Amino acid sequence: MSFLEVFQYTRQESVIHNLDPRAKLVISICLAGISLMFTDIIPMVLMICFLIPLIAAAKSLKRWATSMRGLLPLLLFIIVFNTLLSTTEYPFSHSIGLSLRLVALMTSFSLFFLTVHPDELSQALIQMGIRFEFAFAMSMAMRYVPTLGQEAYAIMDAQRARGVELDKGNMLKRIRNIVPIIVPLIIVSIRRALSIAESMESRGFGASEKRTYMETLSFRKRDWGVVFISLLGLVILIHFRFFFSLPEWVSWGLPF
Amino acid sequence: MIIIDDVHFAYDGIYPALRGVSLQIDSGERVAIVGANGAGKTTLVKHMNGLLRPQQGRVFVNGRDASKLSVAELARTVGLVWQNPDHQLFLDTVEKEITFGLRNLGYGPEDTRARCERTMSILGLTDLANRSPFSLSGGERKRVALASVLATEPQVLALDEPTIGQDAKQKENLSNLLMELNANGCAVICVTHDIEFVIEHFPRTIAMSEGLIIADGQTNSVLTNDRVIEICSLSTPELTQASQALNQRFPEVSPRLTLVKELEDAIIKIFGGV
Repeated sequence: MSFLEVFQYTRQESVIHNLDPRAKLVISICLAGISLMFTDIIPMVLMICFLIPLIAAAKSLKRWATSMRGLLPLLLFIIVFNTLLSTTEYPFSHSIGLSLRLVALMTSFSLFFLTVHPDELSQALIQMGIRFEFAFAMSMAMRYVPTLGQEAYAIMDAQRARGVELDKGNMLKRIRNIVPIIVPLIIVSIRRALSIAESMESRGFGASEKRTYMETLSFRKRDWGVVFISLLGLVILIHFRFFFSLPEWVSWGLPF
Repeated sequence: MIIIDDVHFAYDGIYPALRGVSLQIDSGERVAIVGANGAGKTTLVKHMNGLLRPQQGRVFVNGRDASKLSVAELARTVGLVWQNPDHQLFLDTVEKEITFGLRNLGYGPEDTRARCERTMSILGLTDLANRSPFSLSGGERKRVALASVLATEPQVLALDEPTIGQDAKQKENLSNLLMELNANGCAVICVTHDIEFVIEHFPRTIAMSEGLIIADGQTNSVLTNDRVIEICSLSTPELTQASQALNQRFPEVSPRLTLVKELEDAIIKIFGGV
């Protein structure tokens, strides 16, 4: 699952990390929106070429590369299945475009998830008018993904020590072998959730209606700048995509 | 039985957990492993059944190079009981849970049944045989987890913090059981912070700190060593504290006593008895 690494926050100092999370949300959504407007190879390649410097600015190029390597099997799967099943004129070219689009989409969103700490995210949501409980639940969920991963490893160790051979046998056996992992994982997670809820309540969670916050986010000039440029870019591209006939080279594809 | 030769291990290749550990455990030994949190105790035990493979150095189990054996093969010899029973329980009855490991290791149906019943009766689980493990109390779940490993009758049994969450009676039962297994030739390795438990039942203690073994020897000399106690963030055994206090007034009393009998003899001697 190494391709998910690109969605994991890393604590670093960078231009992108220092932006307001709301500005980053806007830029990510704009970039993803642009990626969704095209399916041809050339625009997708241009898009990725535009995204890579942004990832580099967030000092996360290495992590991105690891993730993309992990994504490779899925991309190949998409290419093979789309080529075989697609009804378009040039199925191979089309499926290459689709898989590049997936890369562009993941990269757009990773820009947000790589650089926004779960706490910042919940603070941003609260300041956007979402109720504290929901924002808290969301940041909690994000916070527990790595914990769940560690738990899964501990469970796998425990079952292997009892003679479960996780990586042996045919497909059916391997699927059956998931049961001894998944059942404890669910039980442990539910138990943990209950005890966290109890411990939070016993520390007064939800006791007072009005909460105060130690840190609040403030939108600075550069955040406005980022939002403005992102929206402008989005509008311009929408304009070109839907109200202009694009030059020939944009829709260039492989002849098969 | 188990030989660990200059083993190095670092999680993700960068967080060192073992930094050159060597030890030998013979069949029929009872060994306690103590150390502060993060000293590498569990990492060390995981090397004994192949869950972790040394990045440098070698592990031998029964004279065979462990690197050539799978975890499942090693599990026949080395049984591991985990700190958190919830990490391994997943079936709907206690009985199935206990037979699960046996079936994995390829025991026949009759053999499986016999071993399961024997283990349940020893651990007092017979009445719970058809209950769901998830409906049991923490201590009971811990015993089910122990039973599921014990049923395979390994030659080496390694336990991670077995006494946590057990009441005095269960702890007594557990130690009786370990003694009995040991009398039948099973080597028992126990990772624990429960120093009184170690003193009572384990003649040999290995103390670890920051991925190194800092002391390995007789329990009564390791656990009465102030440096070891401090580095491993243990507390001096109560009886040793008492003997130290006596030693202040009566220099003839050794300040490193650990057993009730030893202290009793010392006090009788002070009073001039025999």
